[in-house]
Amino acid sequence: MAFISPALLLLLAMSVFPLLWALYLSFTDYSATRGGPAHFIGFGNYTAILASAQVHQRALTTLIYVVGAVTLQTVLGFAIAYLISRRTHGRGLLTTLFLVPMMLSPVVVGLFWRFMLDAQFGVINSMLGSLGLGQVEWLTRQRTALISLIVVDTWQWTPFIMLIALAGLTAVPKYLYEAASIDRASEWFRFRTITLPLVWPLLLIAVLFRAIEAFRLFDLVYILTNGGPGVSTETLSFHVYKVAFLGFNTGTASAYGILMVLVVIVLTQIYLRYLNKLKEG
Amino acid sequence: MAVSVDEAVSAGPVRDQTRPTRRLGGRGRSVLEIALLTVLAVVMLFPVLWMIETSIKENRDVYAVPAEFFGFTVTMEHFKDVFVAPGGGRSALSVAFLNSAVVAGVSTVLATVLGVPAAWAYSRFAVKARKDQLFFILSTRFMPPVVVVIPIFLMYRQVGLIDSKLGLILIYTAYNLPFTIWMMKGFVDEVPAEYEDAAMLDGYTRLQAFRRHTLPLLVPGIAATAVFALIFSWNEFVFAIFLTSSDSVRTAPPAIAGLIGGTTTDWGLVAAASVVFALPVLVFAYLVRKHLIAGVTLGAVRR
Amino acid sequence: MRHSKRMGQVSAPGRKVQLATAAMLLVATTVAACGDGQDDGAKASAPKAPATIPELTKDPLTLSFIWFDWPPAHALEAFANAEYKKERPNATIKVNTVPNANWHDAMFTQFAARKTDFDIAILDSQHIGEAVTNGNILDITDFVKNNIDVEAYNPYLLAAYGQFPQAETGKRDENASLYGLPLLGDTWTMIYRKDLIGDKPPQTWDEMISVAERCQAEHPGVSGLAFHQANGSDAAAVTYNTVNGVYGGNLWDSKTRKIEGVLNDAAGHEAMDVLVNKMKPLTAKGSGNWFIDEVNAAVAQGKACIAFNWIAASGGLLDPKQSTLGTTREQILDKLGFATLPSQKTNLVPLGGMGMHVSAYSSTANQAEALNFMKWFERADIQKKWAAAGGVPSRTDALESPEFLNAGPFNQVYTDSVPRMRDMWNVPEYARLVDIENTNVNAALNGAKKPKDALDDIAKEQQRVLDSGSRKGGGGL
Repeated sequence: MAFISPALLLLLAMSVFPLLWALYLSFTDYSATRGGPAHFIGFGNYTAILASAQVHQRALTTLIYVVGAVTLQTVLGFAIAYLISRRTHGRGLLTTLFLVPMMLSPVVVGLFWRFMLDAQFGVINSMLGSLGLGQVEWLTRQRTALISLIVVDTWQWTPFIMLIALAGLTAVPKYLYEAASIDRASEWFRFRTITLPLVWPLLLIAVLFRAIEAFRLFDLVYILTNGGPGVSTETLSFHVYKVAFLGFNTGTASAYGILMVLVVIVLTQIYLRYLNKLKEG
Repeated sequence: MAVSVDEAVSAGPVRDQTRPTRRLGGRGRSVLEIALLTVLAVVMLFPVLWMIETSIKENRDVYAVPAEFFGFTVTMEHFKDVFVAPGGGRSALSVAFLNSAVVAGVSTVLATVLGVPAAWAYSRFAVKARKDQLFFILSTRFMPPVVVVIPIFLMYRQVGLIDSKLGLILIYTAYNLPFTIWMMKGFVDEVPAEYEDAAMLDGYTRLQAFRRHTLPLLVPGIAATAVFALIFSWNEFVFAIFLTSSDSVRTAPPAIAGLIGGTTTDWGLVAAASVVFALPVLVFAYLVRKHLIAGVTLGAVRR
Repeated sequence: MRHSKRMGQVSAPGRKVQLATAAMLLVATTVAACGDGQDDGAKASAPKAPATIPELTKDPLTLSFIWFDWPPAHALEAFANAEYKKERPNATIKVNTVPNANWHDAMFTQFAARKTDFDIAILDSQHIGEAVTNGNILDITDFVKNNIDVEAYNPYLLAAYGQFPQAETGKRDENASLYGLPLLGDTWTMIYRKDLIGDKPPQTWDEMISVAERCQAEHPGVSGLAFHQANGSDAAAVTYNTVNGVYGGNLWDSKTRKIEGVLNDAAGHEAMDVLVNKMKPLTAKGSGNWFIDEVNAAVAQGKACIAFNWIAASGGLLDPKQSTLGTTREQILDKLGFATLPSQKTNLVPLGGMGMHVSAYSSTANQAEALNFMKWFERADIQKKWAAAGGVPSRTDALESPEFLNAGPFNQVYTDSVPRMRDMWNVPEYARLVDIENTNVNAALNGAKKPKDALDDIAKEQQRVLDSGSRKGGGGL
């Protein structure tokens, strides 16, 4: 197929081939720098990773981060979309303004929040100070550092949920509301029986996208906390990076990466299946 | 595998511009809602404003505690520093901006050239196992970059593509291709195949029919898709930091990240560089605002 | 009808393409994997540099370095282009810089690629083991014998920036191989506010802590101490190692490769206790991610009584444009004093700085030029000029020359510190060891771990890394 094959070939060369290579390396003790041939060690890397307390800790951190960030931005994003959808004027302008954070590079977002969250001269603590509140160590305490990550991610990606929710909300046909208002249904009832069911599937797709993105988070951690304090904000992606580039344990890192890809694929499949069932039901 | 994202999303009924009637609550509620929206807008936009403000402050004001919101001396020095090296000549940052433009631009063109025909074919022809292929294409986009970068690194070192613009261009093309295909397939789907069929009855080949009748209708869609691909590669950080190391290849995101962690951090410069870096993206994003939803969901959700 | 026909036409070639690609892929994987193995097996140790400098090219040549982005890197490029060009007009010096956080990765990913865009790597002293074991840099033992006057140096400086396996602290093993020559010497200096604590710097570590405590109490808004606490680079690790040394601890027993039980002995625990429970409370709130630039900013903003920083990174403190301490260099120097570190049970100070190492992957002509540059750089007159240009030399005569001692207020500190230096491990596993220490010390400093647990965890995990020779998988976790 002359039109498809060039694209597929590139994807095979740049995505599939590297992945297969990683799959092969994941069964070896290969190191990209140490030299020497790779030795086949079966599932050694996989069992070591699955049994490692270090990995469990990163998995938990990642889970808290994904759930926290995605929940927060879904609630906020939907709320903003709902408020915007109820306005007659300035909808376009408002939407555009709210979308700015989403368009920025994670590098810019990370650096700038790091600057604003600085305990000593950051503007956030400065404003808290004017309100008579004490300094908060945003990036250097276990809890607050993880919360800061969640907040920054939420700041950047709430617009994403908002955008999609807004699409759903403006698509609700007027006649449905009119029918409901003739019935003198309460606002909450209308929201629950008309608005939400129509927006829900879209919102779930948005959540899926965000969850996948959040699961592989790396750059924000790299810049904002570097995984600290200690390793308490190290995500799975960040840990893979350390395994791959600090000790150059390429075999282990490959197995780690393959496991991450598997998790994404399996969870996505389950989720999509649920979504389709929801749609049919 | 049989499930694809576009099935899972119901396109929703036709757009209805008139908003739901405002009956309950009345004016008080409306005021409350506007107030709430304003507060949220301020919160969301404050970091951006603060970034702009920092970029025009003198360094001693940058560190001022309590923070100075107004009444500081305005300076354009930081913006000059973004482009001009301290001793004169081009700064490393401006070289990085140029590298970013080249890498993002070329990879976008490549992704478009490869992706549009593929999208057209997926839309028009009954390709075998189309859904599987499309799902496979999309799934390559969801691999964690940190994971992909390990084998890519090994592959590149075999063929000598480490620390080269071509290496970055290839990986960004591969990264943007799934997006381009998904996004463009949606646009092609919207153009009725009958135009092409009619042209073919007039004796044109299918390719000629595509070029004469479908392609012109796709131009706005291609433009929007390309702009999104451009934004993705412009903003990309992970591949850039691990696959490049010299000033002449490094793109802007790692260059900006490199501004911190020396012996002193010039936050004014960081802010100015960030503003310069973000500006084209915001302009482009504004130009394609109609297609934003499709753009950010890889074409899975469109309105 | 048209559609079904079309389907038949398209799918058959489609499948062929898929099959062909799959086959190609499989072949490619096998070939690549095998090729890789052979390639790696061939090189096991560092290749040797020629004992004498080969004939140099007359063609234009660019000699490239790699370093992280900080003032000495720019100083080196300017200095070398001005001075080396006088000897070799056809040579241009280029110092590639990368972000500090990315320094190790940038060099070693290129080493791993067996292709470097630099001829001279400026390695941290602790990187030597990794580079030597992987065969990334040239063995220059014979070259040094023939071209360098080793008597002109404090032996430990030569050892620290070149020798592998590592020398004992303070010594050099003359039978061991050398892989580098000193480029820039460095150590910590104590930076203290003369206007707040007086002209005389504290002499012991305990005294330093109590002075800082008093200063903080007397001057609201100024914190007693500022030092490196970040979990990146080697920040928090160097801080702990310094206190560990001062309180008589040891990082490891290099002969038996023991860390467990050595690092976390009584002295080690006392050092951790001093750091976390006595020093940390005197630092600014939220300083738990501070490194070089944040400590400098705190000093320049007048927010610290006593601070510790690398000498080579302290030049910016004298710049009135970045300081609130005065509008001229002299005014700033009225307030800032620089002193050698206080001592306690020992007088050890951390060894910083970096050496020059020739990339095994650069061309023969460039390697020859690199050796010539190094020989030139280590000449007595050039070392003095390097000192005058703002660099920190290594030859004893240069260190004691007025050119060096008058170039900066902290240079005397360096000269006095040379006999007191101690380095970390320079084993191939360095990157992992330092990460373990960084993250754990950082956790202890920020209340994420109890100090005692953190130190025991460091010892246990580092020992595991040193011992992990077996091939069972999961290395690096």
